[in-house]
Amino acid sequence: MSGSAPAIETDRLGRDYGDVRALDALDLRVPAGALVGLLGPNGAGKTTAMLLLGTLLAPSRGAARIFGHDVTRDRGAVRRRLGLVFQEASVDGLLTVAENLFFAARLNGLGGRAAGEAVARALEQTGLTARAGIPARQLSGGWRRLLDITRASLHQPDLLILDEPTVGLDPEHRERLWSMLEHQRRTRGTTILFSTHYLTEAEPSDLVVLLSAGKVVASDTPASLRKTIGSEVAEIEGPGAEQLGEALRGLGVVAISLRTERGWRVGLRGPRETVVELAGTTPGIERFALRPATLEDVYFARTQKISQDPKKQANK
Amino acid sequence: MSALSAVYGIIARDLTRTTRQTSRLLGGVARPFMWLLLVGAGFNAIARVEGSLSYQAFVYPGIIVMAALFGAMLMAISTVYDREFGVLRLMLASPAGVTAVLTGRALAAAMVGMIQGAIVLAFAPVFAPVSLEDMAAAAGALALGSMVSSILGLLVAARLRSVENFAGVINVVLFPLLFVSGALYPTAGMPAPLRLLALINPVTYQVDLMRHAFGQPTEFTVALDLLVLSSSTLVLFGLTTLLFDPEQRFVFKEGKSEGVKE
Repeated sequence: MSGSAPAIETDRLGRDYGDVRALDALDLRVPAGALVGLLGPNGAGKTTAMLLLGTLLAPSRGAARIFGHDVTRDRGAVRRRLGLVFQEASVDGLLTVAENLFFAARLNGLGGRAAGEAVARALEQTGLTARAGIPARQLSGGWRRLLDITRASLHQPDLLILDEPTVGLDPEHRERLWSMLEHQRRTRGTTILFSTHYLTEAEPSDLVVLLSAGKVVASDTPASLRKTIGSEVAEIEGPGAEQLGEALRGLGVVAISLRTERGWRVGLRGPRETVVELAGTTPGIERFALRPATLEDVYFARTQKISQDPKKQANK
Repeated sequence: MSALSAVYGIIARDLTRTTRQTSRLLGGVARPFMWLLLVGAGFNAIARVEGSLSYQAFVYPGIIVMAALFGAMLMAISTVYDREFGVLRLMLASPAGVTAVLTGRALAAAMVGMIQGAIVLAFAPVFAPVSLEDMAAAAGALALGSMVSSILGLLVAARLRSVENFAGVINVVLFPLLFVSGALYPTAGMPAPLRLLALINPVTYQVDLMRHAFGQPTEFTVALDLLVLSSSTLVLFGLTTLLFDPEQRFVFKEGKSEGVKE
């Protein structure tokens, strides 16, 4: 039943906390082996979605299946195929690095020699062998996070759910972490669902799901999402930014425009020469830059739409 | 198999953590001896309980129970700590499930309670000399009592989210359990409401069973003590399981009442 089933399949999955609708209705289908980024501002419903998929929260509505197993009815089977990494590292500072891993192995049903082998393999792959005997509280934040992910991967789960795994990490540890995850995907075909506020981390994803105020506001490949912004993005600053924005809209070359702290960010379609020429002749432009669209542009375009248009939201 | 492995892992972790918190461990061992040597000696001079029995000899079985009660119940602080720092969520997300998590936790806490009680029990020749057979019976009473105490601790910790809260609540629970148990003085002459509390207090039956082992006057039969303690263990464990993971109950209810869509 679960052999060819999607890694994740949700049907109008939602959760309320009292009167607050934390997650409205998530429809998601993730094939095995995919890398999926769950993006959105704080309070968008990312953690709730992950806890629902991780069987730690019960849905208020809808359903979810992990490799064909229902997250409410077949929690044991779901958990056996899952590795979870929470926002805060779940590492016991009083135990050594190796003891933390042995504990995780036992929790996941590995005992005796199997546990020993899994821990030794994990320590070696992560580069933690030299630190195996030290108390986890003596590890730096970066190494603690890597230990946490090693802990979640120890029983070789088919699906890893990681809630902001790189928050607070320096670039070196981030790089190490992503290379660890990529190695797991390549060698074992592990499906990875992660959330992050570092939007560039979501660029290699097979699928990006953008949440805002508990609703899915975009869901597609990064390339397709970037296309919705336009071929290029113009960053316009200065007292003349408003006027240039208006002029560009008048030309019909604007896919989307966003007000920023210092001016406008405008997604363009059409020939860049016309735009550059217009920017050169508009007075009061202090800065004008053209660059390719990024996921950050998609993020702002989609999440601001929701938060800045309460009328539209109410009508839905 | 998976659940057994998890139970073993949780016990191993909790005992390892305990051995690394030496000040807590020493405090747990020192507390009963303070009662025996300071309070016991003081009351010895002014009180004789149940005929010719010295107060120190009378209180000794109760102090063994007290050592185990405090040792086992205070272990529940680890559960609150784990909840606060995310390790509990990790355990609850494991395939083993909440029953295995609580079983591991309860057994580890009971072991710590037993060890603390056994240290006091080892001084029986000094305070209340008994035969080896009676010592073995006392060890049995200690094991059962520690199990009930460990689950009582988990019950207190079931819904608490911060270590500070636990520290505040546990004293309000621990001391009444001890004071209306007959551990420090007989409860027979207490006012009716306190007497009723003593009768529904599982620690009363731990103390009574321990007094049986020491050949001291008792209030109930061994059979009744055993029945109350073993049924308390089961009932309290069930209640703790229900309180511990509200999401599981919720899922069960939702699945039945709304029918989760396929």
